[in-house]
Amino acid sequence: SNAKDAKSTSDEDDSRDIVQQKTQEEEILFHEETIDLGGDEFESEGNETVSENSNNFVDKLNEQMMESVIISDSPNNSEDDTGELGCLQEIVDQMEAKHNQKVQAEVDKEEFLSNESETEHEETPKDISEIGTDDQASLKEESIQETVKEEPKLGNNVPVEPKPNNIDESKPEDQILSPSTTKPSSEAEPIPVCTIFSQANNASTQPQLFLPDGFEPQMVKSPSFSSIIETPVKSNPQVVQPSPSLSKFFGDTVNTNTLASDFFDSFTTSNFISVSNPNASSSVPEQMSSLSNGEDSSSSNPTFPLQNGRSEAGGPPSSLEITQSPKPFSQIQAVFAGSDDPFATALNMSELDRRNDAWIPSEETRNVLISVATQQYSAVFIEKENLTMPGLKFDNIQGDAVKDLMLRFLGEQAAVKRQVLNANSVEQSFVGLKQLISSKNWRAAVDLCGRLLTAHGQGYKKSGLPASHTTDSLQLWFVRLALLVKLNLFQNAEMEFEPFGNLDQPDLYYEYYPNVYPGRKGSMVPFSMRILHAELPQYLGNPQESLDRLHSMKTICAKILENLEQGLAEDGSMTNITQENRQASVQLWRSRLGRVMYSMANCLLMMKDYVLAVDTYHTVIKYYPQQEPQLLSGIGRIFLQIGDIKTAEKYFQDVEKVTHKLDGLQSQIMVLMNRAFLHLGQNNFAEAHRFFTEILRIDSSNAVANNNAAVCLLYLGKLKDSLRQLEGMVQQDPKHYLHESVLFNLTTMYELESSRSMQKKQALLEAVAIKEGDSFNTQCLKLG
Amino acid sequence: LIFAVMRLTKPTLFTNIPVTCEERDLPGNLFNQLMKDDPSTVKGAETLMLGEMLTLPQNFGNIFLGETFSSYISVHNDSSQVVKDILVKADLQTSSQRLNLSASSAAVAELKPDCCIDDVIHHEVKEIGTHILVCAVSYTTQTGEKMYFRKFFKFQVLKPLDVKTKFYNAETDEVFLEAQIQNITTSPMFMEKVSLEPSMMYNVAELNTVDTAGVSESTFGARTYLQPMDTRQYLYCLKPKQEFAEKAGVIKGVTVIGKLDIVWKTNLGERGRLQTSQLQRMAPGYGDVRLSLETIPDTVNLEEPFDITCKVTNCSERTMDLVLEMCNTNSIHWCGVSGRQLGKLHPSSSLHLALTLLSSVQGLQSVSGLRLTDTFLKRTYEYDDIAQVCVVSSEVKQS
Repeated sequence: SNAKDAKSTSDEDDSRDIVQQKTQEEEILFHEETIDLGGDEFESEGNETVSENSNNFVDKLNEQMMESVIISDSPNNSEDDTGELGCLQEIVDQMEAKHNQKVQAEVDKEEFLSNESETEHEETPKDISEIGTDDQASLKEESIQETVKEEPKLGNNVPVEPKPNNIDESKPEDQILSPSTTKPSSEAEPIPVCTIFSQANNASTQPQLFLPDGFEPQMVKSPSFSSIIETPVKSNPQVVQPSPSLSKFFGDTVNTNTLASDFFDSFTTSNFISVSNPNASSSVPEQMSSLSNGEDSSSSNPTFPLQNGRSEAGGPPSSLEITQSPKPFSQIQAVFAGSDDPFATALNMSELDRRNDAWIPSEETRNVLISVATQQYSAVFIEKENLTMPGLKFDNIQGDAVKDLMLRFLGEQAAVKRQVLNANSVEQSFVGLKQLISSKNWRAAVDLCGRLLTAHGQGYKKSGLPASHTTDSLQLWFVRLALLVKLNLFQNAEMEFEPFGNLDQPDLYYEYYPNVYPGRKGSMVPFSMRILHAELPQYLGNPQESLDRLHSMKTICAKILENLEQGLAEDGSMTNITQENRQASVQLWRSRLGRVMYSMANCLLMMKDYVLAVDTYHTVIKYYPQQEPQLLSGIGRIFLQIGDIKTAEKYFQDVEKVTHKLDGLQSQIMVLMNRAFLHLGQNNFAEAHRFFTEILRIDSSNAVANNNAAVCLLYLGKLKDSLRQLEGMVQQDPKHYLHESVLFNLTTMYELESSRSMQKKQALLEAVAIKEGDSFNTQCLKLG
Repeated sequence: LIFAVMRLTKPTLFTNIPVTCEERDLPGNLFNQLMKDDPSTVKGAETLMLGEMLTLPQNFGNIFLGETFSSYISVHNDSSQVVKDILVKADLQTSSQRLNLSASSAAVAELKPDCCIDDVIHHEVKEIGTHILVCAVSYTTQTGEKMYFRKFFKFQVLKPLDVKTKFYNAETDEVFLEAQIQNITTSPMFMEKVSLEPSMMYNVAELNTVDTAGVSESTFGARTYLQPMDTRQYLYCLKPKQEFAEKAGVIKGVTVIGKLDIVWKTNLGERGRLQTSQLQRMAPGYGDVRLSLETIPDTVNLEEPFDITCKVTNCSERTMDLVLEMCNTNSIHWCGVSGRQLGKLHPSSSLHLALTLLSSVQGLQSVSGLRLTDTFLKRTYEYDDIAQVCVVSSEVKQS
């Protein structure tokens, strides 16, 4: 067969030669405009060869297949090929038969290089160099070719490989990242807050923090402390009550004074209501109040010098937002003055708090917490590694990519019109923060979080320095990190998450601060932050780590549910809980467990472990039965994605069975949507389009159906109709439909449609500028 | 006129990154509301990553042998003039041939400004290596000038699968074919069909499902797809058809077994199909006289005689006159007379031999020591290791 093969390849060579000669001829003919003839001639020849080959063609093909059976190094070869494959390259007509191949290789290279330098979307198949209609353009082409020829030959046939997609995507992120990380080192900062704080803290607080308690250098455990560590190792959770004085009051809180305790709760439940009330404190002063509280207690109690230092650092605030932070400082202080009172202590530990904050610490952390509780009057030293010392890693990622693009393409005048909220234009508080988030100015919101955290002493360069945590500071961290994830700035999020370790350090528990949060138990870390923390690695290419984290969360959630079922409190302590509250708690933790499973399924899906992902989504259905139709449809789509149309159909039928019982618009749409997808899987775009259109008849504002119908139209060869549909949709309700995916489709079609795509994209940019915040992902506009 | 080409791979589903929070968290229900307002999320199940929004292919992607290459060709009139007699032609140039892919070869009479001619072409890729899509447009301007231009788009076609085959010859005439199919693409592949189309001499039985209570279940379980670089083994049993089996001499040397037909699907039902060439098998050489085993017990008692049946086939072109000799080994002892005449055996015919033997050693014993001598040519054929039998002491067998 080798001989045969050789023959065939030589045949191929021959035919190629013929082809090249042909093209040459054509080329010559071209100028005389008799090309049609040439083309026909060529075609007829081509057809002949086809008929010749077609008989044994399959066999030939098969031979190659079989050859591959034997050749072991084929994978390598094919890998090399993939490099070349990245894009549909365009080759300029070849002029000289002699150097044909070399020239071609070089031309290829030239194409790649120019693509890379010019645009980022080099891999799109439609990077079409504009060949004009007239002779001028074709002349231009030739001239290009000549220059190419003159260039020195760099290794023949070694195409410059286009980078794989993901690298390209990550690149811009890096670019964003690196300046922001390096910038802070220069002291000249646009934002006064950070610099002022970092200086102030460096100057005054640091020595105070370290010297008085000899915190850092010695790291000595007091003998009494260590003995205590050893005794309770047996971990009888019921036995290990923190301190008798506290536990006495737990039972009482439950029924008596929930309202009051809500009121005292630092911000979580009642805070948002009080915002509207001018007399009530906004959240910032509240957190200050908890600080001052700490100060009060620590003055009498030297156990927590960290608090001391911190509150002093925060005490004389000279920066913007602290001065802005309103007055009721003293009022609150007055309210909290009574916190030494054991009764008030008991109130603070509300039912809701316990339910929500419950978490089961690791053995090690638990021991530390127990010793904190029992050793109230002597210092407890904890290894530095076991403390959480977060700080901003970059102090602002401000910037508005939309505006930058406008400057580039539409000029300064247009860019001036772009008005978005930034961190300075809102109240420096939670209210302002929420305003930024809901107006989709997430970059500004990240910035504001940073400022508020700076006020907490956890600002830029504070990482690695002792810090004390409050409910608010952790919530701020959560919001900041969540927004970073939403902005796809995963690396930044990871950096700032790093000091938090596995979110199980003792100083992240309320028990660690018996003076600030008397009687309160559980974790300060919001559950959603744990989810975020667990999900993050999968976006950074480490889904296994995500799975590990999610599994340990799952274990704890399950343990808490088990405790509740056994009549214990969430954390396994013996606390009386009313049936009603227990029920509420079970419900909460079941839904949290479901949330963990959801993340797990998503993560598995990302890992392309479809079998496990599908299994896990099935489990999710148990926790969220109301989402069954959506989830079943989702599973169906997973199978569709793999290509397993039959199983997909089975799931879609299940959906129809489930939704059969409930009628309503939503389920009707779901069924139609699934049918459309099924047709899509069967390569029947016309039918798919019909079903998507049917959805639009029921719900004309359905973005998904609108977009998908337009996509189908394109595959049916109706570019103009498709564009009309998408444009109509964007104009109809820009607030809703200026979505990344829709715009991406739209720009792709513009590129396909005409050479005026640039203008049309810029028009989109203007629309975006009016409606979207600074979190808009401008990449989908493909403006380069 | 302007010319644009875009490969139409199947669209993909948009995935969103869910970020949720609880009511008691600082943003309240803000994050959840943002996700609800996002048109790309699944309504009612916003945490579900896989959305419903279709997005167009973002790059050319890879194209594999056996898949269908689809492409959108759009010719757009960007000028302010009406042009006439537009002829669009799309050819695909491979290393061996040139194919015309245009759906219609008729010229379009005229094209107004800002209008376009659209065409979607499809082609099942049948060759590996460089392909060049050649698109040519000719037209006449308002001034009567004839214009022509064309563009070339180059792409590589890769091999999607690695197929390795192995034959196992059974003692009978059956042949087992093991085919290892490896996915060497970068995306998961759903194997819709992997079947063996036997050549005319064979019947095939696919051994890739297990029947449990009437329901045939794939041996691959619930995993219906192949991850990148995963390999699957398919097993087929081939039996020569009766009419060929009888003519024992026919299946000799190289025979054609058949070919594998593979159909797979990837993203949203993107389909691919390949056939291997005729798989060829070198039939085991049996020499002039073939001795094959017809029956043998698997377990026998120590020092107790048992029966086996052998089949002696004359694979040569001449008639033989055979004498059977039986030589004892360390463990195997033959019963009966050695040196027995078996008579004349014509080409391609066979005879059955019933033999009795016993083993004096426990364990797995090899049946050896048969000698056939052709008295015409004075040639002796030795048959050792004909089969193996497990010898146990009689007590064990009874219990």
